[in-house]
Amino acid sequence: MADAATPAGARVARPAPVPKAGRMADPRRAGLSILLVFLAPALLVYLGLTAYPAVRTVLDSLFTIEGTERSFVGIANYRDLLADETFRVAVRNTFVWAFVAPVLDVATGLLLALALYAGVPFARFLRVAWFTPVLLSYVVVAILWMWLYNYDWGVVNEALRAVGLGALARSWLGDPNTALSALIVTHAWKWAGFNMVVCLAAIHSLPSEVLEAAELDNCGWGAKLRHVIVPMLWPTLLNLYVLAFIGKMKVFDLVWIMTGGGPLWATETVSTYVYKRAFNWNTFDLGYPSAIATVWFGVVCAAVMILNRVFRSRDRLEY
Amino acid sequence: MRATLAPRRGGLLASRAALGLVIAAYTAYTLGPFLWLATMSVRTTGEISADHYAWPRPFHWEQFRVAWVDSDFATYFWNSTVVVVTAVAAVTLIGAAAAHALARYHFPGNRLIYGILFSSIIFPPQITLISLYQILVDYGLYNSLIGLTLVYVSLQLPLTVYLLEGFFARIPQDLFDAAKMDGYGDLEIFRRIVLPIGMPAIATTLILNFIQLWNEFLFAVVLVTDPDKRTLPIGIRAFMGDHFQDIGMIAAGVMISVVPVIVAYVFFSEKLIRGMTAGAVK
Repeated sequence: MADAATPAGARVARPAPVPKAGRMADPRRAGLSILLVFLAPALLVYLGLTAYPAVRTVLDSLFTIEGTERSFVGIANYRDLLADETFRVAVRNTFVWAFVAPVLDVATGLLLALALYAGVPFARFLRVAWFTPVLLSYVVVAILWMWLYNYDWGVVNEALRAVGLGALARSWLGDPNTALSALIVTHAWKWAGFNMVVCLAAIHSLPSEVLEAAELDNCGWGAKLRHVIVPMLWPTLLNLYVLAFIGKMKVFDLVWIMTGGGPLWATETVSTYVYKRAFNWNTFDLGYPSAIATVWFGVVCAAVMILNRVFRSRDRLEY
Repeated sequence: MRATLAPRRGGLLASRAALGLVIAAYTAYTLGPFLWLATMSVRTTGEISADHYAWPRPFHWEQFRVAWVDSDFATYFWNSTVVVVTAVAAVTLIGAAAAHALARYHFPGNRLIYGILFSSIIFPPQITLISLYQILVDYGLYNSLIGLTLVYVSLQLPLTVYLLEGFFARIPQDLFDAAKMDGYGDLEIFRRIVLPIGMPAIATTLILNFIQLWNEFLFAVVLVTDPDKRTLPIGIRAFMGDHFQDIGMIAAGVMISVVPVIVAYVFFSEKLIRGMTAGAVK
């Protein structure tokens, strides 16, 4: 079902190398030196700046590191982590965000894609317009939404006051009860367009006979959505869910700029907590945040594998 | 063929109207905040405090000059440009070479190398962040644009290899066989066949990497502290920290950072959307 327009839509099966008769060697073989010329730079970058730092972080988690002082503490950091209330709150917030919010993203994206598919005028323009927030940096999105949520003159409160619901106006980011939801809405605002274009591409790649058959059977909007479109798009929707999930497990920029994890740890995520412990608090210890990072690395990899296993239908998921 | 989802009889008009209303509302929701920001960037902070939603009158274009010259946004802009352009050029070349080898040649460990490179896409950034900070300090690359550029190359490598490998693998083998017959060497094949034919995919990767790095915040904020070396995202953030109330100037700075992205988007929206959705459609 892969869309031919996507450069990496499908991993096509490679045809088996056809052994050429005569003196031509197998053209799909190359000497080690040639392979090294092509692969060495990428492998060096990967080993030096991804693999080595990752391994080092895991090892560092067994130390207390203050400046150049390193002292081995075994699993003490991990034991502390178990008792760390703030870490627990950060994990809870991140999980809420990562498991719940993707539903919002994917559902919005699907509905928007269906609206465009229904053949509205200016569909091309709308597709481009709705995608715009995806391109804005988190810094820009954060600043914009801090202003939208401003207590005195933000759009949200102004609108509430205009319709006579002024009593509901509040400091959305300053209230521990609403801060996390406010951030989730902002994040969804940024990413809905991405889900929309993916859903749209998937709908266009559906076999048109099926949709036409449903049309002939006088299938209603809701029935068609429920019995035809959603089941056929299911692999795409699950894929989008996993993508959104991964993104939200890493969420940092938006939180850091809009609330800094506050108020009262209401929006603390694992990423912001690691950052605080490593670079922001005056604890000066890089061992403990390394332990958090290691645990979280394990959690993210395990969660992605479990989701892949649970969601796997016929073929494997791609990112 | 495009099927219409609206019911055919009765209520056709009503449902069309409802659909139109929803679409208009959502468009206002996505574009409205951005246009609001744009109006504020050409108004002075005094005017904005008087009425946050008034149309700019007159247009204070000098806000951009003030932001560019007096508020150091020129420095941030050039730092961002140097780091991002260098990193994108490097990662595309390195990634394309690796993608070509993985897509074209049979050798033991091919899929293993591909899997290892690719799987780091899901790594949470903290797993490398703290150590990269220490490593760059060790090698005197902390607080330097070179260090940040190197890190950026490593950040975008998995995506680049993934996108290009998928595309290069679909170039017909016949082309390569013919080139070999004509006596092309392996490097020549890469330079004279793979790169030109792969240009559409390479362009997509270029734009995608450009936008992601232009917007990058976390590694920049950790690895750069010197005000002269700030890139735009951390420059804006720092400016906002110092001048929280100066809304007009913040808006002008934000617009400066957004313009290159918008320009890239206007010219390459199709390529960009395709690049970002590649692989997500099943």
